[in-house]
Amino acid sequence: MEEKSSDLILSLRNVSKFFPGVRALDNVSLDVKKGSVHGLVGENGAGKSTLMKILAGVYEKDEGTVIFDGEQIEQTTPIESLHRGLSIIFQEFNLVNTMSVGENILLGRFREMHGMRGTHERARELLDSIGSTIDTYALVSELSVSEMQMVEITKALSFNSKLLIMDEPSSSLTDDEMKHLAEIIKNLKERGVAIIYISHKLDEIYDFCDTVTVLRDGTIIDTRPIGEMDRNDMIAKMVGRSIENEFPERPRCVGDTLMEVRNINTKKLKNISFELKKGEILGFVGLVGAGRTEIIRAIYGADKVHGHEVYIEGKEVKIRNPQDAIKSGMGIVPEDRKLQGLVLPFTVESNISMAALCDITKGGFINKAAEKKISERHIKSLRIKTPSSKTETLNLSGGNQQKCIIGRWLEMKPKILFMDEPTRGIDVGAKFEIYLLMKQIVESGGAVILISSELPEVLSMSNRVLTICEGRITGEFDPEKFSADEIMKKALG
Amino acid sequence: MNTKYMGKRLYRIAMQQKAFLAIIIMFIVMLFSGTNFYSKYNLVELLRSSSILAILGFGVTITIICGGCDLSIGGIMCLSGISTIMMMDYMPMWIAIFISVLIGAFIGFINGFFVVHQKTEPFIITLGMWLLLKGICQEITGAVPISSSNMKFMMIANGKWLWHIPNLIIIMLIVFVLMHILMRYTQFGRNCYAIGGDYDVAAYSGIRVVWIKWMAFVISGATAALGGILLSSKLNSGSSVFGDTTALIVNCAVVVGGTSFAGGIGGIPQSAIGVLVFTVLDNCMNMLRLGGYVQQALKGLVILAIICFDCYSRKRKREDV
Amino acid sequence: MNTQLILNKRHKECLNENLVLIGIVILVVITAVLEPKFFTPGNLTNIMRQFGPLSLVALGMTFVIIGGFIDLSIAGIISLVAVLTVYLIQPLGQIPALLIGLAAGALMGFINSLILLFFGAMTQAEALFITYAMSLFYGALALLSVDGATQHMSWIKRDISIFNEIGGGSIGFVSVSFIIFLVSLVILHIFQTRTYMGRSICLTGGNKVAAELSGIPVKKSIMLIYTISGFMTAVGSVVLFSRVTTASPVLGLNYETNTILAVVVGGTSLKGGKGSVIRTMLGVALITLMSNCLNLLGVSTFIQTMMKGAILVIAIWLDNRKEL
Repeated sequence: MEEKSSDLILSLRNVSKFFPGVRALDNVSLDVKKGSVHGLVGENGAGKSTLMKILAGVYEKDEGTVIFDGEQIEQTTPIESLHRGLSIIFQEFNLVNTMSVGENILLGRFREMHGMRGTHERARELLDSIGSTIDTYALVSELSVSEMQMVEITKALSFNSKLLIMDEPSSSLTDDEMKHLAEIIKNLKERGVAIIYISHKLDEIYDFCDTVTVLRDGTIIDTRPIGEMDRNDMIAKMVGRSIENEFPERPRCVGDTLMEVRNINTKKLKNISFELKKGEILGFVGLVGAGRTEIIRAIYGADKVHGHEVYIEGKEVKIRNPQDAIKSGMGIVPEDRKLQGLVLPFTVESNISMAALCDITKGGFINKAAEKKISERHIKSLRIKTPSSKTETLNLSGGNQQKCIIGRWLEMKPKILFMDEPTRGIDVGAKFEIYLLMKQIVESGGAVILISSELPEVLSMSNRVLTICEGRITGEFDPEKFSADEIMKKALG
Repeated sequence: MNTKYMGKRLYRIAMQQKAFLAIIIMFIVMLFSGTNFYSKYNLVELLRSSSILAILGFGVTITIICGGCDLSIGGIMCLSGISTIMMMDYMPMWIAIFISVLIGAFIGFINGFFVVHQKTEPFIITLGMWLLLKGICQEITGAVPISSSNMKFMMIANGKWLWHIPNLIIIMLIVFVLMHILMRYTQFGRNCYAIGGDYDVAAYSGIRVVWIKWMAFVISGATAALGGILLSSKLNSGSSVFGDTTALIVNCAVVVGGTSFAGGIGGIPQSAIGVLVFTVLDNCMNMLRLGGYVQQALKGLVILAIICFDCYSRKRKREDV
Repeated sequence: MNTQLILNKRHKECLNENLVLIGIVILVVITAVLEPKFFTPGNLTNIMRQFGPLSLVALGMTFVIIGGFIDLSIAGIISLVAVLTVYLIQPLGQIPALLIGLAAGALMGFINSLILLFFGAMTQAEALFITYAMSLFYGALALLSVDGATQHMSWIKRDISIFNEIGGGSIGFVSVSFIIFLVSLVILHIFQTRTYMGRSICLTGGNKVAAELSGIPVKKSIMLIYTISGFMTAVGSVVLFSRVTTASPVLGLNYETNTILAVVVGGTSLKGGKGSVIRTMLGVALITLMSNCLNLLGVSTFIQTMMKGAILVIAIWLDNRKEL
């Protein structure tokens, strides 16, 4: 027993975390051995990021004990964790864009490095040690996403980490870079660094990890050596319920061509042409940064793009700005609901009525009664949980905020609705309701373009899937006839 | 091919250093003006007249790099000049100057408390601080300019030293070098850039964000006080009307020089160039004997042109998809 | 227990929302007790006069700040409108001169917005410097057009009854300038709360990106914001030069700080989106009442400047603490 505990770098006992109304983590116990790669899998919202943020010191745990490297840790701050030897590479980047690579890697340790030259020399060494050739003098804002990833990893390494937590490090890496990452992980393992590897891609889990833990709804379902858990078993444990329960039945009401898009060409997009049919849910599959969002922004007139043609019901429409798009029957549920979707300090009512505002205006004056009716109708029909229609949207939960945005467009009865990551950061119940809404839209004659990073979501809801890679459409699939693997392969290029 | 590349490169450099470009254009224009612009006297005078603004600008630059801004410098300037002149009657000059700089630093400290510790809008809080200080200055002077009979005090700014270089220029150069080293070669300076670039990331990396940003305001207060003392010494008077427009001009000059209001980008040399744009412009217009009103209009247009240029290139970048 | 807590929170919110109003009430009570002259009709008319130009300019500025921008060009606009209008009275007569002056103010605001939009200045800081430059430019035009000389209205040989009324007239003890203010207040309040463009301006200030994606005419809103600001500044300018009966080309100097102060003290957030003209009215009321009270009590103007600054700092500080 004694021997065993000295082998452990990290040991969690009955850790719980509560958020208002949710038990994000429930009695989680987890052991990570020194020099091992420990896989952590689970669906979005299973509690992986909460767990990590507790380890990093971003959140405080409500119950339980954390023992790191033989030391019991109570309260901690991010920087204390770093110095203790626990680094985390988050999905969203933690770099200062306006500074050079070298300074970013050794941020806040200028004095220890004896000035600028020392900083860059040390950064060079660290980059070399993982075989990266990024110029330490380059600005972070000039790097590609994968290069930023490398800088992140290097930054974590610079603290002589004993435990490194990687949150989906591969989501933006190419094949070559992936191989590189594999080498780095092997290298680190040999140095005795333990790694917690979080990923959605089960292949990687099988390639890299020694042990794997499945997390679902805030509790640990199972922890086993990787050899003892086969793939189907793992998926079953992750999902915990049959897929049919998670998604409503796929709508089947595809009709004639509704919209035709020809030749979108920008710096990022190459020759994008496709068709959208009435009553269809068209899924876009691709990596983050592949150009999925840019396509819909170009069609919607949110980005200035020239030379492409859009036909709706056979007639060419010129869309110069979002207002034109709305006039020709489009709507958008944008990627970032707080930055692009909602006007947060405003009421639910004015957020729902935003797009329809033009139609309920007479002689310049807003018909307040109509506005109230609209918002109350949607609050009721979408079951938006809000104390009143006068509540500010910043007080609402993520799912209810998203429903406000969808309500805004339902009022317009859009022919085409673009939905960019509509279920990101939303609990399972609300997700299902959003799927039902999508179904409702297409069944009443509209069409939906669905972008999502959650493959099961796109594959279960779409009638047709386009794969997008590096700004090109690389394939078209019927999700009922092809497996997820085949589709993903095309999406990766 | 090569020349095209070179041209492109030159274009890029010019775009990045619009303020420098503006200065060069003015120098070229003055070549053909047939004035005494290129006389040694005038060039020295040019530097001398930019000294005080530059010293103020260096302090403000640090707050802007940290993602703040400081409009209270006008008030700090008045107050420090007045307090130095008043205190000189009761104590040795150097101690009076030292205390005045400390007062400036303390006001910066209060600014920092509101802006950094209490996380309020720097623009409006420092504006309010300026009004407050102006009121204090008016109260203690009765809104009448005061002057000192101490010749030694006058000589600080009006005297000359080594090879007949005006003291003001020497002081400005010393402040320039110190500030530049501070921002470029010390942990404090680099942390300032990190804080302005991304406050949360900086905090996350263990940088003491609150303390450092707070210190930036203290430094800005101290340099403003120094500038105020030099101005009072130069004119041998202290008045509550000094600095009414200085704050905006200095902040403007810093931004014109290339320090971004968004934070994290810029530097002390850029601000020096930014300040030079204004003094060279003033000097040229004086040389060309333009009327005061035309001068004001031209000044407005130059600020407009440079800031708009900047905005436009950012807009182009934003829309380039 | 829980309801008690919520109630306490309600109280606190209520208190925070109405801090300015409470300040005004306290101020009035204290002064009325210390100085019985406060409630005489003469003093009330006086207060209304003092409300004058600042309140009108602040109403326009409110929209700029709600829209998430800022306008420093008002100093220049005040001067230029004053000089232009007074200059035109002699050749054109008073009504055309007045109309042209107001139109010129609106036009100058509109030009500001065109510059901002063309060069893509979408942040408050960019707007700050650009409008400051415009202020210098307009101010210089004012100086150039009259060669720096102050125009006295007594020189004018034609009828200037309208301006006399605006400057010094009153109906009962209510001054004409105050009536102009009240009418503007009501119109702008209705505009902000009831009309499509009013709502668009608020939404633009709240979140430009989201507003644009939802089909709100963001660009049009920005143009309107500055045009309103320019127009209201022109109205303020007319009231100002009518009162002092001279049009100096530096009439508007330092007006921008006082205006921003009034708007922000009233509780309109510089972050944009939140605020109202009613709040601005309260802010102006607080500042004018304060200086009136302090005047009555014989406090020097210097200390008044000081207190203005202190109030601004404290008001913003309190406003900010609400959000923490």
